[in-house]
Amino acid sequence: MNIIQVENLGFNFGEGWIFRNLNLEIAQGDFVAVIGANGAGKSTLLRLIANILNPTEGGISLYGKRLSEFREWGKIGYVPQNPGRQQRNFPISVREVVKLGRLDGRSMFKRFSQEDEAAVERIIHRFSLEEIQGRKIGELSGGQQQRVFLARAMVNDPELLLLDEPATGVDPDAKVELYRLLGDLNREGGKTIVMVSHDLELAARYARSALCLDQGICFWGGVQEALCHRHKHGYFYR
Amino acid sequence: MEMFTMDFMVRAWLAGIVMAVICPLIGSFLVLRHQSMIGDGLGHIAFAGVAGGALMGFQPVLAAAVVTVFGAVVIEKVRTTLKDFSDMILAIFFYAGIGLAVIFTSLNHTGGFSLSSFLFGSLMTISGEDLYIVAALGLFTILFVAVLYRPLQYLAFDETSAKVAGLPIDALNLWLSVLTALTVALSMRIVGILLVSAMMVIPVACSLQSAKSFSGTIFGGIAYALFSVVVGMILSYELNLAPGGTIVMVGTACFIVSLVRRLCGGRK
Repeated sequence: MNIIQVENLGFNFGEGWIFRNLNLEIAQGDFVAVIGANGAGKSTLLRLIANILNPTEGGISLYGKRLSEFREWGKIGYVPQNPGRQQRNFPISVREVVKLGRLDGRSMFKRFSQEDEAAVERIIHRFSLEEIQGRKIGELSGGQQQRVFLARAMVNDPELLLLDEPATGVDPDAKVELYRLLGDLNREGGKTIVMVSHDLELAARYARSALCLDQGICFWGGVQEALCHRHKHGYFYR
Repeated sequence: MEMFTMDFMVRAWLAGIVMAVICPLIGSFLVLRHQSMIGDGLGHIAFAGVAGGALMGFQPVLAAAVVTVFGAVVIEKVRTTLKDFSDMILAIFFYAGIGLAVIFTSLNHTGGFSLSSFLFGSLMTISGEDLYIVAALGLFTILFVAVLYRPLQYLAFDETSAKVAGLPIDALNLWLSVLTALTVALSMRIVGILLVSAMMVIPVACSLQSAKSFSGTIFGGIAYALFSVVVGMILSYELNLAPGGTIVMVGTACFIVSLVRRLCGGRK
């Protein structure tokens, strides 16, 4: 079953097209690494799928519904680019950050219940955040912050994860650990993942598919084929 | 104490206390979203509202409230449409507000209107009607933040993710702007237009030096604001100083102390 359907998508920031006529279908259970050079539109594509940006032309459907009609945002977990670095001095604890994820897809007037607290507790345990749950988010390392934001995205047990360069600013060991965690969420947890990444080698170990952007799609297929393609034709990026 | 035997001082105290609660309550969201200067911009627009209201025969506080809310809505719309230029747009609103205020003031030859009481605040000019309006605003602001605390926290911390979560961020942003405008317009009687945004920023800045949580920042900000208002009003009464300036300088002293405490071995 395809849960993301992109049809004739085009986006123009006002200074030329980032991409046009982009067509794409992402099936449930896939783990897609979106790769490409800086400015190729990787984050833009993710932000369009997440309904943060509006397409200039074409459209996107999630679970068979156009984005304008889609209301089940609790099914989506989103991790923006460098979220922790943007809010280094914000007075909020790790636990509070994770708890915010329980608002996804719900009425803003709904109060937190025992069930919400239990879900937060479970995810804190699952992501091994017990010891740092009382610390301010800005006091953590890049790797720890990314784990917290992933936990926030996961606290609602979403079906689809949209991750915008989750390994940016993370040291190499923590990066491997993060990718391993994502691999587990995909293979054991059944989560569909669409992740913007700069690291094809690492992504190839855990992702199932690769989507390369360069003024549109320049490669879309299995992650191993992506590696072979690069071996034969050189790097994707111009 | 002698000052409590006078009706106008009792009204000033009550209005000051309400202001000390709502200014940091709204200010926490502004400071943490890097919008500390918006209160200043709205203060300048409120100035135009006061001067225009006086010129056209309207109640100056209500005129200021209407004009400031309108300005806040327009600023919010422009801010979201032209994100890259939000700083510049805010500055233009500053200057336009001051420009209009100067024109309206120069056209007003009727007299009987004390501009300085709005610019610098005046305890004696707070009427019973003003007090009711400030109290109603205070109650509404507290209810608004209490009911929507988590969505507002999400919005302040990570607006993009809040949008993906399906929260109506445009509506929340608009309401925050309207409440900021009303707080600026209605608090100007006490500390004055030129200093009202200081009460939204300084207590929160003090609280941020030690707060570890978002709610701690808000409550700490309110505590610092109450302290500034109480000490500032006593000092202004006893030493015959301008109340707005005295309150703000007490707050500034609190900030210096809290900053030094943090730098000298306190927690980061």
